[in-house]
Amino acid sequence: MKKIIIFSFILCTIIIQAQTLKVGIRIQKTQEMYWENGISSQYSFAKFKPNQFFIGLDYVSSRLGSAYNSNAIKQDSYIFSGSWLFNKSKPYHFLTRLNLGYFYSDLESEIFNEIPNTSFLLAPELGFTYDFKKVPISLNLGTGFYIITAKEGYSPGTLQPLYFHFDIYYTLFKKQTK
Amino acid sequence: MNKINLLFLFAITSLFYSCSDPVITDDLLDGNVIFDPSLYNPEQFLVSAKYPTPTQADLNKHIILVIHGYSATTFEWQEFKDWSNESNYRISQVLLGGHGRDYDSFKASKWKDWRSAISNEYEKLIALGYTKISIAGSSTGGTLILELVKSGYFNSKLHPKNLFLIDPIVVASSKLQSTVGIIGPMIVSAESDQGAQENKYWYRFRPYETINELNDVMRTVRKGLEDGITLPTGTYLKVFHSLHDPVASTTSTVLIYKGLKTSIGTPIDVQLMNSDIHVFTRLSLRSNVTPLQHANQLDAFNQIVSKLN
Repeated sequence: MKKIIIFSFILCTIIIQAQTLKVGIRIQKTQEMYWENGISSQYSFAKFKPNQFFIGLDYVSSRLGSAYNSNAIKQDSYIFSGSWLFNKSKPYHFLTRLNLGYFYSDLESEIFNEIPNTSFLLAPELGFTYDFKKVPISLNLGTGFYIITAKEGYSPGTLQPLYFHFDIYYTLFKKQTK
Repeated sequence: MNKINLLFLFAITSLFYSCSDPVITDDLLDGNVIFDPSLYNPEQFLVSAKYPTPTQADLNKHIILVIHGYSATTFEWQEFKDWSNESNYRISQVLLGGHGRDYDSFKASKWKDWRSAISNEYEKLIALGYTKISIAGSSTGGTLILELVKSGYFNSKLHPKNLFLIDPIVVASSKLQSTVGIIGPMIVSAESDQGAQENKYWYRFRPYETINELNDVMRTVRKGLEDGITLPTGTYLKVFHSLHDPVASTTSTVLIYKGLKTSIGTPIDVQLMNSDIHVFTRLSLRSNVTPLQHANQLDAFNQIVSKLN
């Protein structure tokens, strides 16, 4: 009960401070690797570059993609991002984004304990967003590239650099601009 | 000419230059002078060529096919041949299709061509009457063996006694390899950083078309492992993998372990080696070989041979 109250309080605070809050699903494919799907949210502040600067939280996992009902490796990515939208007055926007996050792959068996299975994530990204006028829905296409600086053989094998994603957002909250 | 035109001209010139074929000299395997010796003297490398009419004593011997990796030659398994005391078994060194020849032959080859050299020798040995055949593959050699299992190739043939995979590649350690399908036409080929002696046994220039082929066979095997693969009845399989393999990610062996089971549903054998070199069983022409690397090589050789007796 206590957790629900705290969560509700944080949510209310976020909404009061927000210009826009969008949540949705993400479908992601990594080049020569897995489908990793999950959830995505985008938030813009009312008092700082509203509808132009967004921060985002994303979670994608092969558990909801290639590893569902298969022997593919179960892996999760937790991502925090900052995005900048261009031509914000129009329904379509080009955007640039910088992602930071954490990657974990579950190798399951103890015999593989020494194999690298985690990594920090850093990925610049380019994208395109379209906001529908009459419904609170927006679509986003993006492609990013994980910058992996670890020596070859010392990073998780199933973390590959080039990825593409498609997001469908539902706008939970949007203040009208004057 | 204004600055924009100059910039455009520079960009076009750079693109044209970057898209040109590599300069190949005769001191490279890629050239037209050096070829794999198994092409001249197959009887020194292939059991089927050396013993075209085997006696019963010949047929009683265990034959092990040894398969090299992408861009390599029969040299990759020469140390195993030199080390072996072939009283109870014989080694057949297979040269993959498109390999050991020249740049253009390699560029034109498909992974199915690479694989056909394995099935050709396997079928010749069966036709000659051999009943005890095993196969060992390093790197892509291991991947091709897995593809043969996945495709059901062995189901209607003599089942191999043992399969040994050394640093098999199902996932690459090089992160840029996965992007070659997109940037390949711009890079044309990838140049390997290898020594002058190694230039005689490995292609120095790897055409992007062949990297795409490698990615294709890796994808095929990976998909098969995701769906699940079962070994032929009675076939034993063991994977040896360097813990920090800089070419074939050790995650490849995790995927093989998860996706491949014996015919009775039990897990396969896996051994991770304390090593950071790719194809740890090949030490020849490497610099600064350590006692640990020698011990790893010997360990694998001894385990392979113990299964052939």
